[in-house]
Amino acid sequence: MSLNKEKTCFILEGWSYIQKGITKLIKIIEGEPEPPFEVTHYMKLYTTIYSMCIQSTDDDYSQQLYDKFRQVIEDYTIYQVLPSLREKHDEYMLEELVTRWNKHNVFVRWLARFFNYIDRDFVCRRGGAILTLREVGLTCFHDLVYRELHSTAKEAVLTLIHKEREGEDIDRELVKSLVDVYVKNGMGTLETYEEDFEIFLLQDTASYYSSKASKWIEDDFCPDYMLKVEEYLTRERERVTHYLHSTTEPKIVEKVQNELLVVVAKQLLENEHSGCRALLRDYKMDDLSRMYRLYHPIPQGLEPIAYLFKQHIIEEGTSLVKKNRRVNELQDKYMVYVIKCFQNHTLFHKASKEAFETLRREGGIEKLE
Amino acid sequence: MRETVKLISMEGFEFVIDREAAMVSHTIRSMLTSPGGFSESKEGVVTFPDISTPILEKICQYFYWSLQYSRGKETEFYIEPELTLELMMAANYLHT
Repeated sequence: MSLNKEKTCFILEGWSYIQKGITKLIKIIEGEPEPPFEVTHYMKLYTTIYSMCIQSTDDDYSQQLYDKFRQVIEDYTIYQVLPSLREKHDEYMLEELVTRWNKHNVFVRWLARFFNYIDRDFVCRRGGAILTLREVGLTCFHDLVYRELHSTAKEAVLTLIHKEREGEDIDRELVKSLVDVYVKNGMGTLETYEEDFEIFLLQDTASYYSSKASKWIEDDFCPDYMLKVEEYLTRERERVTHYLHSTTEPKIVEKVQNELLVVVAKQLLENEHSGCRALLRDYKMDDLSRMYRLYHPIPQGLEPIAYLFKQHIIEEGTSLVKKNRRVNELQDKYMVYVIKCFQNHTLFHKASKEAFETLRREGGIEKLE
Repeated sequence: MRETVKLISMEGFEFVIDREAAMVSHTIRSMLTSPGGFSESKEGVVTFPDISTPILEKICQYFYWSLQYSRGKETEFYIEPELTLELMMAANYLHT
């Protein structure tokens, strides 16, 4: 930059020039017919701001420009962004929110380029005490738009997810973009996503599956019920990969498992006609394997099944003894279950072992050789 | 993507240099890589009405020296004393 003092920059003149550039930028962002920026124009805007900054011996002009930066974004948001959002509802509001979010980011990016010197110089020298220009931009959106709309948006998104659960097709990309808005407005943490969205999603999930469980447990036999559980778990996992944040997966799975498997465990497993004992009686290896698979990830999920397994062996063994038949073949028979259905899990080895010990004690030794 | 860019000084002198060299300046780089961009970025011409010819020439030399240095050729970059102040200001302006 030549020390050409004839080109002293008058602040009002300089700012008026910048203002015109900003108006042009806004027109382009809003999609109005406007020719794109020329390189020379960009350089002039950058240079104007640069000159204004180096003019002052104190940081007075830089501070003013920094404040103006924020004000420009706030004004744009208040006078153009918010009105257009307020007049829309439901899914249309969601679409507008995503569009506005994208436009906002482009706007801030360009504006930050014009004002780049401020970031490099004024902001930098404050050593982290003030926000960078990009952070200022994000904060404006958060404080003015996000705060007002996040709750309404959350309701609309949950409605869409409910629709999808009931079998309707929804715009998955839209939901994904919205989830991203929640994540990005957390400014580096997931707290916003978790507190303003995820927690409500989990509540909805729990009540949805609670009512499903009540219905299915009345209507279905255990094997069919389990098939449904497996299918819905897969669908929920898939849902996460499509549009939720990955950290949500274990939380959603836990809710579904709780409603569909834990709450109804007794009713499901002890069902006389189709529960665990019935499956053992009828050699239903696939169904028993499924049962193991479903209950294995749940803390203390397998204990009730192992208990029923043990009781079953004792009952079978006792009735054989009464008929004066040998019991040791039983051991091989049930070992097959332990290996094939219950993945050699120690709980089931133990259950089997305890069952045969009980049979030995009560049945008399001579019957078991 | 063009291979070269043209930098024009205050007096109208045109310096044609490699795009890669010009990108040593963050300011120039952000201009050339703006998406949704500038109508002239396809031609890669930038005018610097505030930078004089000798300074702009030195800057171009600096770009090339900087590329070589980063590739391991550690030589020294000589700056004529009378150019120092203007050169520093230009470097600041161009974010180099």
